[in-house]
Amino acid sequence: MEMKTRLTGAIQVVEIAGRFDTSTVPPVAAWLEQVTVVPGAQVIVNLSGTTFVDSAALATLVQALKRCQNVKGDMYLCGMRRPVYMIFELTRLDKVFNIFVDEDHALKAFTN
Amino acid sequence: MNARHPEVVWLDLPARYTYLHLLSDCIADLLQLVEGTTEAELVPANIQLAAHEACTNIVGHAYGNTGDGRINIKIALEFDPTRMTIELQDEGRPFDSAKYTAPNLDEVQIHGYGLFLIHSLMDEVTYTPLPGRNRWYLVKNLFAEGI
Repeated sequence: MEMKTRLTGAIQVVEIAGRFDTSTVPPVAAWLEQVTVVPGAQVIVNLSGTTFVDSAALATLVQALKRCQNVKGDMYLCGMRRPVYMIFELTRLDKVFNIFVDEDHALKAFTN
Repeated sequence: MNARHPEVVWLDLPARYTYLHLLSDCIADLLQLVEGTTEAELVPANIQLAAHEACTNIVGHAYGNTGDGRINIKIALEFDPTRMTIELQDEGRPFDSAKYTAPNLDEVQIHGYGLFLIHSLMDEVTYTPLPGRNRWYLVKNLFAEGI
């Protein structure tokens, strides 16, 4: 798994490439714990390079979303490949997250 | 008519999360032997995730994530009918189905998706407690509709 983070304006962005699962979750979870407690946090998780997600990854994202909402912020997901998106559909988490086709659309949703 | 023998891969992995990607790799490689699978992009991913979740349960619950213990895995690609079977055996604590609660998908949940995913993504899931060990048996039919 490769993780890249950057700040675009006030929006925290993380790109996760490769397997996002129990063994690779810790650095992503640690980063999300930092950025999602800031009041009004705006966070984008770019999954366009993510080839695999498991239940631990889902749990990490749900926890981060809840923390964001607790500080009146939000977290968007973007760029999911079909097998990854299907897991969100199966667990109905596609109804819980705002999911965008790519990072540009997610950024625009925050800035508009 | 020649019956094609199953293609079988055995893995004997230390019960640690870090090795579970090897299981995914074997599943993907075996499925390359099958042509014309319905939903060719999704099937490998679904089987990989179900097998991965079963193994993470073994590492986390059966062995308590101690780093000890092993998972003995038999992955078989069968051709009559065409299906993939995955047998997992461990010597950890037995699975307690009484403690499992299926997730309520109408509410946002953090935990509890693992076993739900295994059952949702496979056609057959069987758990059998045996003397001194546990056996999980997962089956995926490869030409069924709606995989």
